[in-house]
Amino acid sequence: MIEIVIHGRGGRGGVTLAKLVAGAYFLRGNYVQAFGVYGAERAGAPVQAFVRVDVEEITTHNPIAAPDHVVIIDPSLIAAERISGMRTSGVVVLNTEAEPEAFADVFPGRMIATVDANGIAVANRLGTQALPIVNTTILGAIVKIVGLQFSDAEAALENANFLGPNLEAARTAFELVRVQQLDGPILPSRPNVPVPALGFFDHAAGSPPTTRTGAWASHFPRGRELTPVCSDRCPAGNDVRGFLQHVIRRDYTAALATILKTSPFPGTCGRVCPAPCMSACNRKLLDEAVNIRDVERAVADNGVWPMQSAPGCRERVAVVGSGPAGLTAAYHLARGGHRVVVFEADAEAGGVLRRGIPAYRLPRHVLDREVEHILGSGVEIETSHPVDSVELERLGTEFAAVLVATGLNEPRGLDVGNSRKSAVVQAIEFLDSTCRHRIDLAGSTIVVVGGGNTAMDAARTALRLGARNVRVVYRRTRAEMPAIAEEIDEALEEGIVIDELLAPVCLRPGDDGTTLECRRVVLGEPDETGRRRPMQVAGPQAVVSMRCDKLMLALGQSPDMSILPQRAEMEGCRVLTRFGEALMFGGGDFATQEGTVAAAIGSGRAVAARIMAALANGTAEQEPDQQLAGPDVMSLGRFPLSAQHRCLLTPAAERRRSFIEVRRGLASKGSDAVVSEEAARCLSCGACNECETCVVFCPEGVLAADGPEPYSFDYDYCKGCGLCASQCPRGAIVMGPCSEVVSR
Amino acid sequence: MSRAFLTGNHAAGYALVAAGEANRGARGCCGGVYPITPQTEIIEYLSAARFSRGAIVPVESEHSAMAVCMGASLNGGRSFTASSANGLLYMVENVFAAGYYRLPIVTVVSNRTIGPPWNLWVDQGDSLALRDAPCLQFYCESHQDLVDTILVAFRVGEDARILLPALVAQDGFLLSHTQMVLDLPEQELVDRYLPPLDLAHRLNQAHPRTYGGMTWPRDTEKQREEIQDAMDLVPTVLEEALNEFASVFGRRPDGAFSAELTTDADTVLVANSTMVRTAREVVKSRRAAGERVGLVKAKLFRPFLRDQFEKAIGAARRVAVLDRNHSPGSGGIFWTEIATSLRTRSDVLLQDYVVGLGGIDVTPAVIEGILDDVQRRDGSVAPLFIPEAAL
Repeated sequence: MIEIVIHGRGGRGGVTLAKLVAGAYFLRGNYVQAFGVYGAERAGAPVQAFVRVDVEEITTHNPIAAPDHVVIIDPSLIAAERISGMRTSGVVVLNTEAEPEAFADVFPGRMIATVDANGIAVANRLGTQALPIVNTTILGAIVKIVGLQFSDAEAALENANFLGPNLEAARTAFELVRVQQLDGPILPSRPNVPVPALGFFDHAAGSPPTTRTGAWASHFPRGRELTPVCSDRCPAGNDVRGFLQHVIRRDYTAALATILKTSPFPGTCGRVCPAPCMSACNRKLLDEAVNIRDVERAVADNGVWPMQSAPGCRERVAVVGSGPAGLTAAYHLARGGHRVVVFEADAEAGGVLRRGIPAYRLPRHVLDREVEHILGSGVEIETSHPVDSVELERLGTEFAAVLVATGLNEPRGLDVGNSRKSAVVQAIEFLDSTCRHRIDLAGSTIVVVGGGNTAMDAARTALRLGARNVRVVYRRTRAEMPAIAEEIDEALEEGIVIDELLAPVCLRPGDDGTTLECRRVVLGEPDETGRRRPMQVAGPQAVVSMRCDKLMLALGQSPDMSILPQRAEMEGCRVLTRFGEALMFGGGDFATQEGTVAAAIGSGRAVAARIMAALANGTAEQEPDQQLAGPDVMSLGRFPLSAQHRCLLTPAAERRRSFIEVRRGLASKGSDAVVSEEAARCLSCGACNECETCVVFCPEGVLAADGPEPYSFDYDYCKGCGLCASQCPRGAIVMGPCSEVVSR
Repeated sequence: MSRAFLTGNHAAGYALVAAGEANRGARGCCGGVYPITPQTEIIEYLSAARFSRGAIVPVESEHSAMAVCMGASLNGGRSFTASSANGLLYMVENVFAAGYYRLPIVTVVSNRTIGPPWNLWVDQGDSLALRDAPCLQFYCESHQDLVDTILVAFRVGEDARILLPALVAQDGFLLSHTQMVLDLPEQELVDRYLPPLDLAHRLNQAHPRTYGGMTWPRDTEKQREEIQDAMDLVPTVLEEALNEFASVFGRRPDGAFSAELTTDADTVLVANSTMVRTAREVVKSRRAAGERVGLVKAKLFRPFLRDQFEKAIGAARRVAVLDRNHSPGSGGIFWTEIATSLRTRSDVLLQDYVVGLGGIDVTPAVIEGILDDVQRRDGSVAPLFIPEAAL
């Protein structure tokens, strides 16, 4: 009879090893017996497994007291007492990196076999670095030292369905095991009388053995950060969740720094952005969106703006146009170390922000502060410097790259008959002219055609310049108006009338003033934009006439492409036609025609990245396509309801005749509690905000707040139950296979 | 026969599946199951099995597991389950019910110590707690014995003269978790050995009946008498079943008691389960040394066949009983049965040894010590506890 004792730790495969060794002999036709010492295995305590092999039936069921061979599969268990009672003829098999000779003092006089089973197992991805599973590896070594063929190990593994890496590991161990007879007399040993563990520990005698319960897990949790829907929708790419978290702690300066990483216009966007982030906010499914726009405004107003910096010294880049896209691109290029010169036709920087958006929406001091900060970031500007195609070509010889960001400046016209030219003006030109000289519309009746923000801005500006009646004529209904909803509400409050479903046809001079004739419109099938197509109604009953001293057209604008040479082609933001030496780009509305400040900012940042990559002869790094923290990963029911804090408004009566700012933000100056309260309504979708839910629910206490991450998981003790992941209200914990999680 | 290398639990699982499958031509099979160490691998094996006609029903407790078995059995299905220790105790009410309903359900018990204190290892206190249940009890010594006895238990229990459930016990871990070599009976032979279950009193829509309703005392007494009559017929039916087994499978499992080297023995050891195998080696070596010692393997505990036991010990004057169990206030449970069997044998010195409780290893040295003790004893005393450390 051959008797083998295997020493291992509970749950690490010692019994399976015994069965594999016995299986190898069984398949050769022997009687075999394989069993373990059960009960203590969960204690991770030292345990044994036993193998008997005989040519006759085996009748004993007692543990092995005098083994032929002893196998120690856990390096930490190598000690003289493990071979107590062992016969003199056999081999001691050790899982160790060391050579047999290293054990001269521990096992003198013994035949020692060593194999680095941990290393072989890890190399074959059996278990993990911390908890390698070495049994199939060691089988190869045992088969070698007892004189069997590797094919016996192979057969045993195959019989037990251990294939692939297990087989390879066993083969490596079979080849690499080293056997050495050590010198010296064999140490006397007491007979080995195994005593089953009693299942309790006398704490007076010491501590219970350590149980690395992480070995039981198949999956581990890990923290993750998903892209919140607000940031995903922000055209400028702002880290909305990130700056709101700073505001909760009233750290406006950190919040401002967070926004400035993507957008140099927080004060502007905090006032005029249509806030698609708020439309997407998960909180809308619970009660109301977080008032992100007004919190951003407070950040710009309360944060300490960063120090100025000198112009960069890398490549020279020209930016044509100082609107939101041009200035944003210049800002990012300058931060990237490039030397940027902005060319502005006007006497002041700002483009549409200064000339197109009235001061009651965007006070000039706010714009000035942001322009000043951009220029302070190392951007040079040449104002009153118009650029046409000839000048553009010149810039192409002087600069390494040129960006055209001249926005939209070709307003769409409308044929209303051959009336007095002065009775019809473009709304955008009207807004521009109000910035340049004083205009008095006292007593007049103004009709604005259009439904966008320019229409609202022109109508409300006309009212403030003394117009008695201001009407907005729109061919669809209010619901289809592209203008920001709040702007429409405020216009109505101020007394502006909106005439829906009307199309202007003709402007007729009369004795007591000019009359605008419109035709009634019905909405038909949706067009390619998804909006229902307006169709004029025929017949005399469908004609509506209204007094109109001045008709303002706000029907949209298109870019002026004459700045580019004829037949110049664009692909995205890249101008394909080369002229001059420079790399030529287009940005903002000039390239995208999206028509919002936020989109222009986003385009400016994106095109700056493209320019910098092109100057470095590379391609712009694609931002990884991240999983969104949509409502599906959120447990919205866990959050208490709370109403949105709304923006304070200047009373309508007060604002009708002045350019005082209409929207006053969340709080009057000096009282910012309401701002941080509003920020605290942010659910922090998809990112840990240290709410401690996981810590409370973890039944094992393996979560700690001591690392660089908000929480760290102790994978030595995590059983992979998944409660933390299932209870995290914001989807910031995910389960994954242990090997993937640990190797990250 | 196919030679295999299995744990006792998987071997038991194989036998239960084969027996269930053998009823596929009739009403099929069904097991209500609930896991507990050291029987869990049986449940795993059963749950992985695919039956031609049958199902394994995982339930929330042992009590329900037996309830599922009763329902299936009463519908003519071959039914089986397995349990251990405190789980078996939770099942007890329905084990009694199964017997009183006369349902031939086979339960494999992987013997385990009843807690507290919590203990996983072998001790027969769990199955022997069902001493007074209307249920057969077998104790097996090896993997082969276990597989064969499971088939025998179905055959005997389902016999129209018996109609009683059976417990078939194996030592927890020592058999349940030890992988050893055995011959697995082929399905074709099991089909031959176990005829389709034809339960005369099974539920039948054509003949609606109420089972287990209120009865008068005399009816209940009659029912108990009938069960005793059935138990009295077990020796006959078991003998037939073993003979038939031998003719089908070519080997004869042990019966109620196996007398080994007892013919001229002065001293006889009585043991069951894996202890028999250790005792057998000790007795053989004592014989070789010239001592007149013998061994009686006690396999069938219920019914306890007193006459057969008395015959088995032959002319021995000293009988040592090894009990891996303990009835507080009495002693070893096999010993109390043996004592009543030898009530007319005032010439016999009968001594009980309580050994291996809570999974303590019963080594050859323990058994040597017991033989020495019984041989030098002037008279018997109360059951002696023989902890390993005492030797």
